Amino acid sequence: MSPLNRKLLRDLWRIKGQALAIGAVIAVGVLMLVMMSGLVTSLDETRRAYYERYRLADVFAPVKRAPEHMIADLAAIPGVAAAEGRVTGSALIDLSGRDLPLQAQAVSLPEFREPRINDIYLTEGRSLESNHPDEILLLQSFAGAHGLKPGDTIAATMNGRRRILHIVGLAKSPEFLYTVAPGELVSDDSRFGVIWMSRKALEAAYDMEGAFNEALLLLTPNVRLPAALDAADRILKPYGGTGAYGRKDQTSNRFVSEEIDGLRTMSTGVPPIFLAVAAFLLYIVISRMVQAEREQIGLIKAFGYSDFEVGVHYFKLVVAIAAGGALAGCLFGIAAGRAMVNLYLAYFKFPFLVFKLDPAAFVTGFLVSVGAASAGGLFVLRRVFALTPAAAMRPPIPPDYSRAGALGKALDAVLDQPSRMVLRRLTRHPGRMAGAMIGIAFGMALSVAMIGIMTGFSHMIDLTFNVIDRSDVTVTFNEAMSDKTVFELQSLSGVIEVEPVRVVPVVLHHGRNSHRGVINGLVPLPRLNRAVDSRMATIHLGKGGIILAQALADILAARPGDILTVEVREGRRPVLFIPVAGVADTLLGAPAFMQISALNRALGEQNRISAACMRIDSIQSARIYRTLKQMPSVAGVSLKSDARAALQKQMDTGAGAMRYIMAAIAAVITFGIVYNAARIAYAERARDLASLRVIGFTKGEASFVLLGELAAVTLGALPMGAVLGYFLSFGIAKGFSTDLYQIPASFSPESYGTAAIAVMGAAIVSGFLVKRDMDKADLVSVLKTRE
Amino acid sequence: MPDESPKKTFPAFSIKGLTKVYGEGPAAVHALRGVDLEIPAGELVVLLGPSGSGKSTLLNIIGGLDRGTKGAVFFQDQDMSAMTDRALTRYRRDYVGFVFQFYNLMPSLTAYENVALVTEIARSPMDPNDALGLVGLGNRADHFPSQLSGGEQQRVAIARAVAKKPTVLFCDEPTGALDSATGRSVLKVLKNINEELKTTVLIVTHAAATADMADRVIHFADGGIREVVENKTKRNPEDIQW
Repeated sequence: MSPLNRKLLRDLWRIKGQALAIGAVIAVGVLMLVMMSGLVTSLDETRRAYYERYRLADVFAPVKRAPEHMIADLAAIPGVAAAEGRVTGSALIDLSGRDLPLQAQAVSLPEFREPRINDIYLTEGRSLESNHPDEILLLQSFAGAHGLKPGDTIAATMNGRRRILHIVGLAKSPEFLYTVAPGELVSDDSRFGVIWMSRKALEAAYDMEGAFNEALLLLTPNVRLPAALDAADRILKPYGGTGAYGRKDQTSNRFVSEEIDGLRTMSTGVPPIFLAVAAFLLYIVISRMVQAEREQIGLIKAFGYSDFEVGVHYFKLVVAIAAGGALAGCLFGIAAGRAMVNLYLAYFKFPFLVFKLDPAAFVTGFLVSVGAASAGGLFVLRRVFALTPAAAMRPPIPPDYSRAGALGKALDAVLDQPSRMVLRRLTRHPGRMAGAMIGIAFGMALSVAMIGIMTGFSHMIDLTFNVIDRSDVTVTFNEAMSDKTVFELQSLSGVIEVEPVRVVPVVLHHGRNSHRGVINGLVPLPRLNRAVDSRMATIHLGKGGIILAQALADILAARPGDILTVEVREGRRPVLFIPVAGVADTLLGAPAFMQISALNRALGEQNRISAACMRIDSIQSARIYRTLKQMPSVAGVSLKSDARAALQKQMDTGAGAMRYIMAAIAAVITFGIVYNAARIAYAERARDLASLRVIGFTKGEASFVLLGELAAVTLGALPMGAVLGYFLSFGIAKGFSTDLYQIPASFSPESYGTAAIAVMGAAIVSGFLVKRDMDKADLVSVLKTRE
Repeated sequence: MPDESPKKTFPAFSIKGLTKVYGEGPAAVHALRGVDLEIPAGELVVLLGPSGSGKSTLLNIIGGLDRGTKGAVFFQDQDMSAMTDRALTRYRRDYVGFVFQFYNLMPSLTAYENVALVTEIARSPMDPNDALGLVGLGNRADHFPSQLSGGEQQRVAIARAVAKKPTVLFCDEPTGALDSATGRSVLKVLKNINEELKTTVLIVTHAAATADMADRVIHFADGGIREVVENKTKRNPEDIQW
């Protein structure tokens, strides 16, 4: 091994503390990138494999009642690989001990064979046996939420008839990864069930003998979906087809996609910010480290080594640290990604896992770290090479402070010499100090933004459930009812306020953008379920237009005054042209609002409601629920408290859960930056500090010179960090927002305060650690060395 | 100029059986091997010897920068080996001035401020301007170290060391980094301080010629004292050749 390489290894060993601190920061930045991209790639891949193995349909075509032989016609559509009909229907499950019935969907399975499309994965028990019409398979997540297992029985109301069903097995299905009760936005395993029964039993239950009410299609690869949808619609139209839709619009897949997309947005939006901060720090630290090697560089050159050789030598040192950090980041990132995938596996209810890594993340992580480190190193080396070797042979020239500027007579009078040393260093090395300040400021900004996200999440929930929606209970009906139902509900004892709602499934089109969702018809000035503007004031719903949630307006790229094409997906299925009247501030989902009477008129149906929001007296709730349970027209009753808990749970276990991990990483980076700043300042001043000790300064007095500098830099970084944090918050909030919910960038004095305290805490701990080294320093040896 | 001053009667330091060992086992280096020595107060003493002979180690220990492994050092009847870190700091602050080969000035402070650094914490210091005047740098008080020559920097270091009116002044190779003319001027300053302020001055050097200006020359070799010579006639620094 050449002496220079041996020097390299020994140098690395000598500066191991500093190298470790730098490496750790870059490692954390890379870790996050690798972890997030690994997580997203694996989830994507697992979902794809799950869909493929269990043959999830490409097209879902609901229909009122079509004879079984029409399946052959559907299978004959060009590009269709397989077609299958099935019977589905809504059901209410009545579990003992619960006030409210739970909504469920019953789905048929073919007799005597496996489904060709939408297969299921039996997790427990056995499959259905023919001739036992009361046997069911139950969705595993729902069963788990209620402690149901094979052998248990449940009571269910199907098509108005109450029956007792025997659970013989539990199953998972790619079709029902997420279950969302009709009219709700948030998935909740416990509040929506799926029952699989034999085709014959369901045909009997829903009067569908010899017919199906949903067709499933599998397409061959590279088939244009719209053509297949059109063909299916044409074939099913005479039988009451309500419009075929692709996998993209299937409820469960849409939610899964939104969650994975949420993670993807986060993985492309947030880790680069972290990595950039880490890279910037690396640049600063490396440049100052190489600066400290100035004398040695001169000396090596004096021995006859060329600039290039010396450059390569230091380049290796820098790359060793950066690449070491990046490598550690990759390894820990893979481990962390794996752990995260396993967590999310349960969340997404995938039955198996395909772990896949994204090589691009490794490459990016490596290139960014090594690039930033080399830039820092080369920047300084360039200046150092201008130095003649003789510079190293002479006694060290003291750094020139004559240009530090006069402190001013006023200051002269009050400052003692140590304070002047602190102040002169700040003014003499403004670049270096600004670098340290910006570094710490970025660390603080990350913390500000991450703490802001935390408040953003609770702010979002609070706004959605306390400010925007002021109801306690929403009652959904089987079909559109007369608005007299409102009075019926109003007359129940304990009901304080009732507001009618008409929910209509639609597809909204604007230009080339479209969105499948619902229009909520509300009273002109709603009090319970409201559309609000940015100041949280209720938006008055006029006669003519539609109000879009900001998220929906973004999806459609629509502004007030634009005309939307609205395809209604129920009843006579008219196509309407409705102008956008305004944009509402919502944070959950992407709803659209219209005045209920205007909506009814557009549909040609007067005085209809499909749901009602109510405010009730909580003491009488049990009795109200019992009454609602008896009403045959009630399809479901949902409590706001349940919805709120479900959303909270989803944000704590889904993509949103990342915020805790990212906040922890932000804290590590913040500390790393402050600690590195302290270490480097110490390395640069070790000699001065030892001299102070020698001439009789106590440990405390000498450390003031260093800690004073650290304090000044830290304090200077705080306002800068607050400003940077403000801007960073928008980027990070955007990264955390999914199509399902929007996280507002929120700024509270607390988040600034907490971040500032965190930074000062990090500075105090770093100061303590450095001071400990300083106290242990060997005065004599420091003085004997020249630099 | 012959030394006419009366013999000092009490010692500034008495050293008994002082041993210093660096490291352990077979790798141990014995820097001092049982040194016994008395240094009278008010004298200018030169510690002479080749590199590694132990002279700097001795200076560091009696200067309160390091501790012996065995043996005792008494400063004005106080046992320094029993002093705490805090007490050693106190000792350096109140009684001791240091001058080093590489000056060790604070680059961010002017000549005046470097001296003031010490006078601010000393008990009864002289005015920094007077200290700079003493080393002939009264007119360069506002200059930063980077604007001063090597000799000037060393004189600022001396001014800083004497400004507190120390009882003892320790100089480790004070002329080591200087040319001979500059070196002579620095030695002259040290001699003046010894004579005018009655400060005990200890100079560690391997330049044998320096010994001619001392009251007492202690020759070091292999971690011990080879001989102690009292100069009957001292030479002026101006006349020293090396």
